[in-house]
Amino acid sequence: MSVDVPEVVAGHPAKSVRRCKVCFWVLTILLLLSVLTILWLVLRFTIDEPVVYEDPVEHFKYGSTGGERESGFPYWIWKALPKVCADYLPGEGYASLGMLYEEDKDLPIGVSKRRVTGLDRVFLNCAVCHTNTLRDTPDSVPQIITGMPANTLDLFSFEQFFFNCAADARFSPDFIMPVIESMDADLDLIDRYLVYPLAVYLMRDQVLMLKERFKFVEHQPVWGPGRVDTFNSAKVIFNFPLDKARPEELVGTTDFPSIWNQRQKEGMHLHWDGNNTRLQERNRSAAFGAGATPPTLDRESVKRMEEWLMDSKPPPWAWSVDKALSSKGAEIYAHYCAECHGASGTDFTGAQVGKVLTIDEIGTDRYRLDSYTRTLAVNQNLLYTGYGDERFSNFRKTNGYANMPLDGLWLRAPYLHNGSVPTLQDLLSPAADRPQQFYRGYDVYDPVNVGFVTTVAAEGDKSFFLFDTNVAGNSNRGHEGAAYGTQLSISDKQALLEFLKTF
Amino acid sequence: MDITMDKKSKWSLVIVLVSMIVAVGGFIAWYKFFREVDQAPFATAEERFMYGSIGGENEAGIPYWIFVVLPRMFPEYLPGQGGYASLGIAWEEGKELPVGFTKKVVGFPRVSNTCAVCHTTSYRVSTDADPVFVAAGPGHTSNVQGFFSFLRDVANDPRFNADNLLSEIKLVTDLSLLDQVLYRFIIIPFTKKALLERNFDWMERDDMAPWGHGRDDAMNLTKYFMLEMEEDGSYGPSDFPSIWNLQKYKPKEGMRMNWDGATYDAYSVLTDSALGIVAEPQDDFVAQMEWLLDYLSKLQAPKYPFPINAALATAGETVFKNNCATCHASEHTGKRIHLDDIGTDPNRIASWSTDAAKAANRTATELGVDRRGMVEDEALDGYIAVHLDGIWLRAPYLHNGSIPNLRELLSSVEDRTAVFYRGYDIYDSVNVGFEFQGREAERVGSRFEVSRRGNGNQGHEFGITLPESEKAALIEYLKTL
Repeated sequence: MSVDVPEVVAGHPAKSVRRCKVCFWVLTILLLLSVLTILWLVLRFTIDEPVVYEDPVEHFKYGSTGGERESGFPYWIWKALPKVCADYLPGEGYASLGMLYEEDKDLPIGVSKRRVTGLDRVFLNCAVCHTNTLRDTPDSVPQIITGMPANTLDLFSFEQFFFNCAADARFSPDFIMPVIESMDADLDLIDRYLVYPLAVYLMRDQVLMLKERFKFVEHQPVWGPGRVDTFNSAKVIFNFPLDKARPEELVGTTDFPSIWNQRQKEGMHLHWDGNNTRLQERNRSAAFGAGATPPTLDRESVKRMEEWLMDSKPPPWAWSVDKALSSKGAEIYAHYCAECHGASGTDFTGAQVGKVLTIDEIGTDRYRLDSYTRTLAVNQNLLYTGYGDERFSNFRKTNGYANMPLDGLWLRAPYLHNGSVPTLQDLLSPAADRPQQFYRGYDVYDPVNVGFVTTVAAEGDKSFFLFDTNVAGNSNRGHEGAAYGTQLSISDKQALLEFLKTF
Repeated sequence: MDITMDKKSKWSLVIVLVSMIVAVGGFIAWYKFFREVDQAPFATAEERFMYGSIGGENEAGIPYWIFVVLPRMFPEYLPGQGGYASLGIAWEEGKELPVGFTKKVVGFPRVSNTCAVCHTTSYRVSTDADPVFVAAGPGHTSNVQGFFSFLRDVANDPRFNADNLLSEIKLVTDLSLLDQVLYRFIIIPFTKKALLERNFDWMERDDMAPWGHGRDDAMNLTKYFMLEMEEDGSYGPSDFPSIWNLQKYKPKEGMRMNWDGATYDAYSVLTDSALGIVAEPQDDFVAQMEWLLDYLSKLQAPKYPFPINAALATAGETVFKNNCATCHASEHTGKRIHLDDIGTDPNRIASWSTDAAKAANRTATELGVDRRGMVEDEALDGYIAVHLDGIWLRAPYLHNGSIPNLRELLSSVEDRTAVFYRGYDIYDSVNVGFEFQGREAERVGSRFEVSRRGNGNQGHEFGITLPESEKAALIEYLKTL
């Protein structure tokens, strides 16, 4: 039509004036409309806005690392999957994987949301592995503590849930869209018929690709809650063919660490094996786990989290402390522990604090050490390349484990890097006397032995994970002998334990 | 009048516009493809040797972002896990690129090689120790053939295309829209084409053992890559030599360089080896070569890192004088010993010829390289009696690296190991060489069979009848060189 009009105009000048006016207005309106439509579409699909939290603690719990941009799950698919693939979950919803929901919140702690590529997308942030609950008794209200290890989170099962669901025939618009619609999703026509069906396919491809790259976990002993294999996962960034790795490299499962007081830890050997001395690199390395790549990392948002972590503090011991006993314990601590672990829970001075003790000296399980290789370290030099000084250059292969400051020690059970010793009381016993099996993932505290209750197999319909120290990577040996206090008298141990409660 | 003026001014406007477009387009083309940015100065001469460009980026460089993502996209074409590190090339902690790789902006960032990729030794004194990197030492862990095969295999893979490469690059950096367009339509297709044009087929024939770690088929590389000569079926695998202390070579006294003495002097060896890397000499070629010559002439071999029994070494010096000095510390040193006398594997000699030497000299002249060059007027009928400085770090021994350590070199042929693994970096201070057997040596190294063509471990059967005590003393002395 639009092609015909000018010809008519040219042929019949007299008649055409009126018609032309109409045409002109119609054309103009059409043009305006299409311009507006295009603008609207461009805005709709280029908008990139995270949900922002003014409060730094809220920001830590729910703020974005930028990971949603590349790795984010479409919000409504995230919501629908626990219903679509309910049989791949141990119980009801993500909470059954140990994720923590606050009352007024729609997403669990550690999951952030951002409007990007035309839809709301969600992904993990730091808090998912570094926040947990604590209860005095099974009947107490759970208290949320940021910065502590996420003892209840079963990241292994979380990953497996998505891998299994993506590989299932139900991971298709036919199954997912009806569930989304049943949830009163506020989707418009474009979302319903275009964006979301497409998003289902894109997400499936992405998760299946990750499933392939994370195949090595299928051959690993199940991690159990509160643990992750950090550096075999890091090898996935480089798509290392792990079937060609040395077998002893393939298990590197360790506890999530606490992350308080970062300012005081600048320059120390960070990570369990002390393989990096720079906070920023350590944080950004961890941010890969939250899906943030160099181009997608939300630097401003992450900086806010980092700044808050600089001086964030663990909560004090929640019960009473016997002051006299604790003072006696302080002397024992000064003699046995301070050189490696710092003067106190707040003063980290000590000749060996933040330094690496060789594996022969410390004698703990060496799987985690061996999982980190020089080959990986040099490849990590290419991370953040092209971003000037941000390029990684501080990863090193070490030959042992780093001496950690003990801030908030009471919340950091189970102990040792692999979480193989349930309580501090057990840590002060020789390895032979430490429990060979115990349950992990319970958030009720045992103030007598200093650690979480590890003798309970289930609570309601929630079963806990039976941790076996005889499994590869789980050994509870090491950190023992006279120098480590495992030969102290019972009364000295009691005193030391009392002092450690004050950390 | 008005109309003609209008026409005139219209034309001038068109001309001005066209010339502006051409000028802007030309500038963008120059900026994006040819603009050379000097590398930041290197802190030490050693760093410059390891990472300083010698001009290979212009003709033989790989676009940086392609270089970064290739190992992640095609790990199956690498011998193990670890990206380029799986090729055994030295890679210092904290450094962006492995030793022997250099990054320079010629329009866009490109990666090329330096001499150090074949001439840096990596060793560890124990499995728990940090690796030590020795500039100008033999790159015994470098799997150069593996690198070539990798490039060939990725270029032949249909997944090597703009869609896949750009989506992988997107995970690593955010290219500007213009750069994405240039990568998609020019840089990626041209890189693929350039890689496919390289003929690597002659390297991999059933009748030829793989080079393995620390070796190449140097003369055939020259013949087929640089001189584009017809394949002649020869195969002369040989070790990367140490290239420190080049001042010891005195061409005027009749000394020659390369295993068979095919080159007159150190400068010619440098230029000809560099041409293999840079393809076409750039403006600063002569200056680069002169700097290298100066640096490598003075650089001394490293000291033996373990304790040495001084008394035993002194006793060994006498054994050396009586048995080895005739060739290795005399007027014969640095000169050719006839094959009949040395008796080592002849294949390396057979891989070069006077015709090839003439062709090489012609090509170098055509490329504007002024050097004394390849030997045309002497019979290449033997191997050079090498200087022994830093011999402790130059295992495996003989020109083809067919004998794992000094102790075996002092053994009869039947007592030398027939199958071993090259390329493992743990030092064996008892036998003086690198560990060559065991699980890790097998995992990271390449299997070496002396029965394969070019790999013969016969010859140089000198000192093999010495009493054990004298052998031990001799070995102790050799550690001091």
